[in-house]
Amino acid sequence: MAQTQPPSLTKPLKIALIGNPNVGKTTIFNQLTGLNQKIGNYPGVTVDKKTGAMIYQDQVYYIIDLPGTYSLYPNSEDEIIAHRVLNQLSEIEKPDFALMIIDSVQLSRGLFLATQLIDLGLNLAIALNMADMAEKSQLEIKTYELFKQLGVPILQTDARHLKGMDQIKELIHQQNFTNPGPFIEAKEFLDNSQLQDVKEYFELSNDYQAYQILRFGLKDKGLSEEKRSWIRKKLETLTINLEAAQLEETKIRYKRITEVIEKVLVKKSHQEVGSAPLDKIFLHPVLGYLVFGGILLLIFQAIFAWASVPMDLIDGFFADLGAWLSSTLPAGPISDLLSEGVIPGIGGVVIFIPQIALLFGFLAILEDTGYMSRVVFLMDRWMRPFGLHGKSIVPLVSGVACAIPGVMAARNIGNWKEKIITIMVTPLMSCSARLPVYIILIGLVVPDEAILGIFNLQALTLLALYLLGVIGVLVTAFGLKSMLKTEEKSFLMVELPSYRTPRWKDVLLTMYYKSRTFVTEAGKVILAISIILWILGSYGPPSQMDAVREIQEEKLAAASSEEQIAEIEAETSSLLLENSFIGILGRGIEPVIKPLGYDWKIGIALIASFAAREVFVSTIATIYSIGGDVEDDLTIREKLDTQINSNTGEKTFNKPTAFSLMVFYVFAMQCMSTLAIVYRETKGWKWPLIQTVYMTALAYFAALLTYNIFS
Amino acid sequence: MTADQLKISHSAIIEDLIDSPLKVNLMELGFLPGKKITLQFKAPSNGPLAFLIENTLLALRKQEAALLQVKIIS
Repeated sequence: MAQTQPPSLTKPLKIALIGNPNVGKTTIFNQLTGLNQKIGNYPGVTVDKKTGAMIYQDQVYYIIDLPGTYSLYPNSEDEIIAHRVLNQLSEIEKPDFALMIIDSVQLSRGLFLATQLIDLGLNLAIALNMADMAEKSQLEIKTYELFKQLGVPILQTDARHLKGMDQIKELIHQQNFTNPGPFIEAKEFLDNSQLQDVKEYFELSNDYQAYQILRFGLKDKGLSEEKRSWIRKKLETLTINLEAAQLEETKIRYKRITEVIEKVLVKKSHQEVGSAPLDKIFLHPVLGYLVFGGILLLIFQAIFAWASVPMDLIDGFFADLGAWLSSTLPAGPISDLLSEGVIPGIGGVVIFIPQIALLFGFLAILEDTGYMSRVVFLMDRWMRPFGLHGKSIVPLVSGVACAIPGVMAARNIGNWKEKIITIMVTPLMSCSARLPVYIILIGLVVPDEAILGIFNLQALTLLALYLLGVIGVLVTAFGLKSMLKTEEKSFLMVELPSYRTPRWKDVLLTMYYKSRTFVTEAGKVILAISIILWILGSYGPPSQMDAVREIQEEKLAAASSEEQIAEIEAETSSLLLENSFIGILGRGIEPVIKPLGYDWKIGIALIASFAAREVFVSTIATIYSIGGDVEDDLTIREKLDTQINSNTGEKTFNKPTAFSLMVFYVFAMQCMSTLAIVYRETKGWKWPLIQTVYMTALAYFAALLTYNIFS
Repeated sequence: MTADQLKISHSAIIEDLIDSPLKVNLMELGFLPGKKITLQFKAPSNGPLAFLIENTLLALRKQEAALLQVKIIS
């Protein structure tokens, strides 16, 4: 039965936290481990591996927070992980004990999973959480009776109000976990004589484990190929109908749980608890959508208002740091690399943190209050025709601020196809980094006047660009829906939990850990690409670069006024960029982008924008040798307005070109941070590559069309 | 009849679950023969349905609700 080895003295004990979704498991994990958490990866899946150290009475305990699951039957990646760890298939994550968290109001559903864990032979203890809600619902659980029925230690906790946390720590410290022997014998629902060799091959101690491995082992790609092919062979000779056995198991289990519940649960009132009055508004066919729209508006207002201050500070800090380094270090390539390549590269990663943290903060609040699943309920119908899921609404909405947290949030979608489609289309939503580009170009070619007396033409253009992004999302999703094949059936089964006030500590921890994941995982790729782009932008064929420097130095020597010097310096950086590798690339792609109405100077800006879209503005400023304050939109605008396209002899930024550029920026994949995150979330370069090629092609042809319409 | 045909605020007892790959998923959520369900909310235009079952509000799409054979009670 209990098959855990006595723990060695040197290694800390491993305790797995397990429970249904929405039972307060994360709160308990946060209370036990606080800031001693680590987020890693499980091999083969995108599920975060959340582990943490609990220190109690000078002892260290290793806590594994498993994803929430309703049973050991794995349907999603989350559940595969729970299945893998609890079936002890992975030597590394093998827990010594399991602490099962049950929502006191949902006793029977919790016991379903708990009794499965007992049958697996795990040493177990149960925390009956949300004691306050049980009291509100007029439910009383006779814990001693439950202990007698199940044979495992039972605690009552209320994690939200921090009640029972010390008892949990003490229970872990005392190693007060037991396994009383099977709740249901496997032979009650299948012929266990056929399981003998499974037990021997996998070195298992009971029939239920053997049955679990046969039934679900192939779903876990973390299992070695040798073991998988063994299972495949075994399944061919097996005469047990495993699916029928599973149904039978479910029925017997629920029947016996019902018997247990009759003995332990006292309903003090027979009045049925209805759903929350708030749902009459939040789930209303009309008001529900209005409320959702209002909440979105508030969130974006807050993100734009609150994120801009820290973002400016970060921007300023890294600019100052770069300047300080370049003036302190001895001049040379190393100093340049640090001050112009590495420091801005790091800055380019850090600059996203305010938006990511805020967005995840709001998402955590919406999730924690129980509102998010209401949004899924409302939006599912409108997402499905496009091959998306109700849960896709979260990534798409986040995409308006920044695609990175959006793509990160897509992992909650269980169905592979719906998840991939969501990840593929989220970067088409117009994110905040496109805004500066839109604003500069709109300011250049759209007059600031009202039509029909009330609508500002510039604002309407901006709105149209956002809508264009949404159309791109829908069309792309629709196309992918028919192209991607999957055997997984799409379904929606989601609990709409009771409304609760958010737990601020959990919200803050989510913000902290999500930002940290972004910096550590995507940061490396972003930093590498920034350095490459910097090298391409500051070096060129030495002969040409030296020639430029010589000519400009002569000019400088002849300059008389400060104004002239500034002008020459601006001209120098423009000429250097023109002759650098990026400049050569920009000239190289000119034939390709000419039909869109762009000259090679815009080509340079397009290549440089691959690092991040907002770089367009500063690159354009450099290439058109706009000295002075590049932050000042007006200066840039006036300068750009006077530029003449060397190919056509007309204004460079005339209507067709500016609109073509705007449309290009709506669709193009110009954000290496997003690519790095897509790489992380899809576990490979395949999808980020397809995404880049597709979005670039879409941008190209849409821009081509736009240019021809306006010229 | 099946649960997707219920009207708002009507209650029914689950009689059986129609065979499908989702049967076990429904059962593990608590949709079991003998349980009482009440349709509480409908999302517009044939969207998901929200059922109250044992103090929990659970949302299903129509196609999943159609897997629940029910007998209406007043």
